[in-house]
Amino acid sequence: MFYIHQTSCISHQPTFHEVDLENLNRSDNNQLLAVEPKYSNIPIGQLRRMGRALRMGVGTGMQLLEHNQTDGIIIGTANSGIEDSITFLNQILDYQEGRLTPTNFVQSTFNAIAGLLGMITKNTGYNATHVHRGLAFENVMLDAIMRLNENPEHSYLIGGVDEISVRNYRMEAMAGWYKTEEVSNLDLYQTETPGSLPGEGAAMFIVNHKKDEAIAKLRAIQLLNVLEPKAIAAQLSQFMQQHLSDTEPIDLFLSGENGDQRFFKYYAACEKVIGPNTTIARFKHLTGEFQTASALALWLGCHFLQTQSIPAHAVKYIGDRNGLNRVLVYNNYHGEQHSFMLLERGGGN
Amino acid sequence: MSKIVVTGVGIITPLGNTLRQNREALKDGLCALSSIEIFDSRYATLLPFGEIKTTNQNFKDQLNVSEPGVTRTTLLALHAFEQAITDSGLSAEEIQSFDTGFISGTTVGGMCISDELYHDANHNKVGSAYLNSYDLGSVSIYIQKRYGIQGITDTFNTACSSSANALMYGARLIQNGFAKRVIAGGVDSLAKFTINGFNSLNILSSAPCRPFDAERSGLNLGEGSAFLVLEKEEEVKGKKIYAELSGWANTNDAFHPSSISDNGEGPYLAMKKALEVAGLQPNQIDFINTHGTGTENNDEKESIAMQRLFQTPPAFASTKSNIGHTLGAAGGIEAAFCLLNLIHQEVYPSLHFSHPIETTGLYPVPQYEKKTIHHVMSNSFGFGGNCSSLVFSKV
Repeated sequence: MFYIHQTSCISHQPTFHEVDLENLNRSDNNQLLAVEPKYSNIPIGQLRRMGRALRMGVGTGMQLLEHNQTDGIIIGTANSGIEDSITFLNQILDYQEGRLTPTNFVQSTFNAIAGLLGMITKNTGYNATHVHRGLAFENVMLDAIMRLNENPEHSYLIGGVDEISVRNYRMEAMAGWYKTEEVSNLDLYQTETPGSLPGEGAAMFIVNHKKDEAIAKLRAIQLLNVLEPKAIAAQLSQFMQQHLSDTEPIDLFLSGENGDQRFFKYYAACEKVIGPNTTIARFKHLTGEFQTASALALWLGCHFLQTQSIPAHAVKYIGDRNGLNRVLVYNNYHGEQHSFMLLERGGGN
Repeated sequence: MSKIVVTGVGIITPLGNTLRQNREALKDGLCALSSIEIFDSRYATLLPFGEIKTTNQNFKDQLNVSEPGVTRTTLLALHAFEQAITDSGLSAEEIQSFDTGFISGTTVGGMCISDELYHDANHNKVGSAYLNSYDLGSVSIYIQKRYGIQGITDTFNTACSSSANALMYGARLIQNGFAKRVIAGGVDSLAKFTINGFNSLNILSSAPCRPFDAERSGLNLGEGSAFLVLEKEEEVKGKKIYAELSGWANTNDAFHPSSISDNGEGPYLAMKKALEVAGLQPNQIDFINTHGTGTENNDEKESIAMQRLFQTPPAFASTKSNIGHTLGAAGGIEAAFCLLNLIHQEVYPSLHFSHPIETTGLYPVPQYEKKTIHHVMSNSFGFGGNCSSLVFSKV
């Protein structure tokens, strides 16, 4: 459990400065690339060397670290600066392992985002990078929960970041993870084909045990591996029983449905467990699909709780709850890595 | 708080495929650094490496791996994982329990497959069998699926401290009640990516590395894997216990992406905080398995950090002089070596040392000897300023 105090987000939508989720940015060529800001908060000499993932991660992280002292930095990223990795690999093979400059190699180090944030802000505290594909950010949250259990006075920067690189896109597309027909993000959920629309982005949070003035409270999370839809539904039911009393209904079920018809059965099974009174909303048409999209789901959950509203294009089903106090997020990646997050408005009770 | 104890070990290094073989080789002061025979690289005969002389096909036969798309990194991890669970006597039921976690560290993952990756990323119209195997998570996800692991799974990449952090995370999952037992460790295999990356930084030595020597000239890359089974002491009645994982800490040096600060602040803080978690004073540490890569920067700064914390540091050595730097596997492999120090009450020689660094004047352990050891520390430092220390204690 922890409280979320400040957030920062870069995505395909305007989320970094003035947030506007009402006027949806359309996908472009079946992709939802991040709208990057100018990054006035990154030292210019460093910014020049950074690839997208580093820029997005350091940019969102610095937006929060400029105003907050933290006791550590915990980042989730499945691929970090994969464009730099493959650029370096190409140089190795194109030049038959000749002498290379180390820039792309150092920049593609997976813990470069957490490391640079620590270096720029002189933060000698805990510094971790989780890279477990579709559960990288969930492990970040679990790590933060444990760090705060161990050190209740501490405060941490946590976040999730991933980029679409041209070459990585090729490989994921060949593996069948993306739509092959042209689809707009507006129509993502109406498709009856496999694959989703790729996205990218970064979301960062300041978390601690201070209840006052918190945006939201993360009450619980659960991480699950390969399971059948029936078993996921049973786990969700148990998760809700364990963490919610009868007087604490779920107002919003935020679903990671991504238009890939192979995985629809998981979301359908969970919607059944949630029941007819809860509003259902989806977010992958805003963010696109990627390994750490759940970090953006957490950001959206916080935003909905804060503004007490959900953009109409995100709503799948309107329940009969008044107010927006509790959000349950369910996400899965490739149908193999699943997670639940239970989020509550403000400091909670 | 419950004690976290080690009940199983699995290991594969250039010194051997079992913990026993590794101990014999360490006792004899064997150096397994050599030319590359199996892996293909321009540097195969130009630089020494810690290569495991078993082909992928042999591993696949030994481990009954027949599906396509399984990389060498996964094969090394699978070897160590299987050994660890067998050694601890974990049943299939226990492995598949929601209370059993699996945490791995790796820096190269499936990127050891560079030719296929090159073609898939740039040219292929139809992908190779490895399309879903290049990322870091692919290694632990393969093992998770193969064994039906249901508990918390994770992959760390904090560069050269990855598997030390995986062990730390495993211990904390148990202490925080998220798991009853965790199989944790790490793996890396030789890869063109890392060979050429470290070479571009001019830190690969053309001779076997000389940790803490005044004339040291860089590190050698190696490959391997080790996994430890961590359990709560009260859950393991009657089982063989190797040692207690009593202390751990991770800090950041916050100085430079690829080198340690002049006063070794990150390493100093990691060692100091690990002692605090273990509830120990500096003078209670009997031996340190250092990070000791053999680079100009690391060995001097690590020495300075040890002198700041211990004044006169305890006996120490670097097993990277035997097998090279196994990157994401180093923390796990060196943790297994620390267990050998504790169980057998002995220390192994640090190789290729002749003269101490002028500014610090420290001498690593010169030869095999019996030694009374209650507490051992293991250091792992990585790029991005990442610094981790673990403490293992005799039970």
